[in-house]
Amino acid sequence: MGKFGTYTVFDLLIKYIQIGQIKLDKTKISVKAAYHDPCNYGRKAKKLFGHGFFDEPRWILDQCLEEWVDLYPAGMGQYCCGGGGGTLVTGYDEERIFYGRKKMEQIKAAEVQMIVVPCHSCHGQLNALKKTHGMEDLEVKYLWELVADILVL
Amino acid sequence: MTETDKMIEMDNLNRGCLRSWPHSQDYCVTCGACSSSCPVSGIDGFDPRKIVRMVSLGMQEEIVASRWPWICTMCAKCENVCPMEVDIPGLIRKIRSMRDRDKVPGILHKGLDMAIQTGNNLGLPQEDFIFILQDVGEEIAQEPGFEDFMVPVDKQGANILTTIHNKLVNTHTDDLKHWWKIFFAAKEDWTVPSINWEGTNWGLFTGDDEKMRIMAGRVAENMERLQAKNLLWPE
Repeated sequence: MGKFGTYTVFDLLIKYIQIGQIKLDKTKISVKAAYHDPCNYGRKAKKLFGHGFFDEPRWILDQCLEEWVDLYPAGMGQYCCGGGGGTLVTGYDEERIFYGRKKMEQIKAAEVQMIVVPCHSCHGQLNALKKTHGMEDLEVKYLWELVADILVL
Repeated sequence: MTETDKMIEMDNLNRGCLRSWPHSQDYCVTCGACSSSCPVSGIDGFDPRKIVRMVSLGMQEEIVASRWPWICTMCAKCENVCPMEVDIPGLIRKIRSMRDRDKVPGILHKGLDMAIQTGNNLGLPQEDFIFILQDVGEEIAQEPGFEDFMVPVDKQGANILTTIHNKLVNTHTDDLKHWWKIFFAAKEDWTVPSINWEGTNWGLFTGDDEKMRIMAGRVAENMERLQAKNLLWPE
């Protein structure tokens, strides 16, 4: 087996931005956004590997947006969106939507129009939660989608 | 069923039967911080503290049969607030692993089995996969500034090899475009493997270590087969 390197989604985006391999236009998006810490990139990575990816996505957000806020609580104390652990496909949908109420309360309290996530499960769950919480206008954005949207070619 | 049948004979419990679990459940001080922190405490009458106590007492049959470990997302908020650092998410995953595979809820095990058989959770044939990638690639090439865009499938010696989440070649094909546009702007030398491209690994959720290892091994095989330098595994 040959050796190879690995990038997390954060490391690769940070590398591209830092060495100027991609250029971003911060003025392209003007809505107020918040960041959601996925359990696996944050709290669980910290426990399993000794490093939680908390600072990296926030640095990327600083390069993309004029204004963004943290949810409360964030980081190690954040609430799961309810879509983790495979719960999106267990069929227990009612319970999963109930689970997500804490997250939606946090987002509502932050008074934002956009929630940025670096996780496919969180992305799916947050979109599924919008209707039951009367938050259809909330835009759920992948972190790399945000970057792609403001690329300068 | 009479009331007596439902009652659990505490004196007859096999308290040693789960003692081999490396999850420190016996250090629980029953403070209840875990249950207070958990967004799904109360569903079906369960909560994290109750599960920890049941494991400690050896009530294997009851916890393995209950729905609660599958409603829990293993988010680790409970563990984070636990003063004794009881590994509750690890314990939940262990409980999940003890379910008969045909009783794993929803499509979790079915999807994993499909991935083991076909290389992806959907059972999507190779030619259909390549067709979807190229179709989405052609859409990008129609956007201003992306005219030369191409999807490099099975390129040898690329700097980056990326896996694909099955939903991006199923119901969410537009979401393939974000990373691809970034690669284009960065002039990255990248590739997508045409086989075993699945980025999800549902053995993580079903507690199936063996199948999880097979899925991860296939990603490593792709790296070797295509002599790629770096792996991006966005799932």
